[in-house]
Amino acid sequence: MAKKIQVTRPTKIELARLKHRLKLATRIHKIVKDRLSILIMELLQTVRECASVKDRLLTEFSEAYRSLSITAGYHGYVSLKKELLVSEMAFKVNAGTRNVAGVRIPFFEIEKADEMKAETKNMADTSSFLDHSTELSQKCLKTIIELAELQKSLELLGMEINKVKRINNALEHVVVPGLDMTIKYLTMKFEERDREEAARLKHVKLLIEQREAYAY
Amino acid sequence: MPTDQFPDGFVAGYLKDEFKALNAQIPRKRKSLTELLKEEHPHVVCNDGSAHFFKKKELEYLSQMLYENEQTSLLLPIIIEITSDQGWVTVRSKGETEAKIFSKILDMNVVCKDGLITIFRPQLNIVRKVLKTTTQYVFLFKNP
Repeated sequence: MAKKIQVTRPTKIELARLKHRLKLATRIHKIVKDRLSILIMELLQTVRECASVKDRLLTEFSEAYRSLSITAGYHGYVSLKKELLVSEMAFKVNAGTRNVAGVRIPFFEIEKADEMKAETKNMADTSSFLDHSTELSQKCLKTIIELAELQKSLELLGMEINKVKRINNALEHVVVPGLDMTIKYLTMKFEERDREEAARLKHVKLLIEQREAYAY
Repeated sequence: MPTDQFPDGFVAGYLKDEFKALNAQIPRKRKSLTELLKEEHPHVVCNDGSAHFFKKKELEYLSQMLYENEQTSLLLPIIIEITSDQGWVTVRSKGETEAKIFSKILDMNVVCKDGLITIFRPQLNIVRKVLKTTTQYVFLFKNP
């Protein structure tokens, strides 16, 4: 149950201040709710994307390993290892941040992904099997980078949702009901004071009337 | 210390933090699509001083669907206004460029009325899926 806010000065000014505070708190609560719903929407979207990318990565990995085993069978492990040791692939990843409803989320993007090619030193000793395996591993690399971005986004969005949820609950269950109760308490106190005042005036009037009656 | 300081302090402190977080993503100055396409690392500076980067893929996707004059008039990120207690969101637009983009993404006719484009919240999901970095949220107070 919500606790009553202790008011040091039960005055009309204090009541007006409390009413203003309640209005403000209600408005903040609405905005927080909006932000929470947007963050949840983003999280759900990221979860969906994450699941699909994971599925795609698994398929790509299985294809790449199958291709690699065929290549290893064709060339032999020793010669394949020799070829792979001297081959290299240069690629550039652009890293940056994007802001989603106040949450800074990282993003990674491979620059010129379509032009990415592995340079194998000895063209005479290699076959199309190795080229195919390389192509498939490059695909895997792109997907891994995509997944890394999504996983981090998921983590950051989850943390922010937890934070915003706590604030939303505090406003909904503590601050707004507390202010509401205090306003009610003060209003009742003022009404009671008015009633007492009216009764006192009546009593004074009666006393004056009695005094006047005795005087005659 | 008077006992009534706690809720006031809480509300005020929270308000300060929350508004900081809410306004953090709003760009100080928006850039046109043409300008961003020329940049090596396309980005805008946000209100809190941090940089908001755009994905080149998204910029290329937008440039493919727009003419050159539209690319110059389109300011990015597209600001999506969210007002509480409403089932829809609005996008302010000077021309018809934003409406054209949303029409293409949503695969339906989106109209710009009095410089405002209205889309419903479930549709927002689809827009955000395609334009992750080129759209930005703004939370607005609804006047009582």
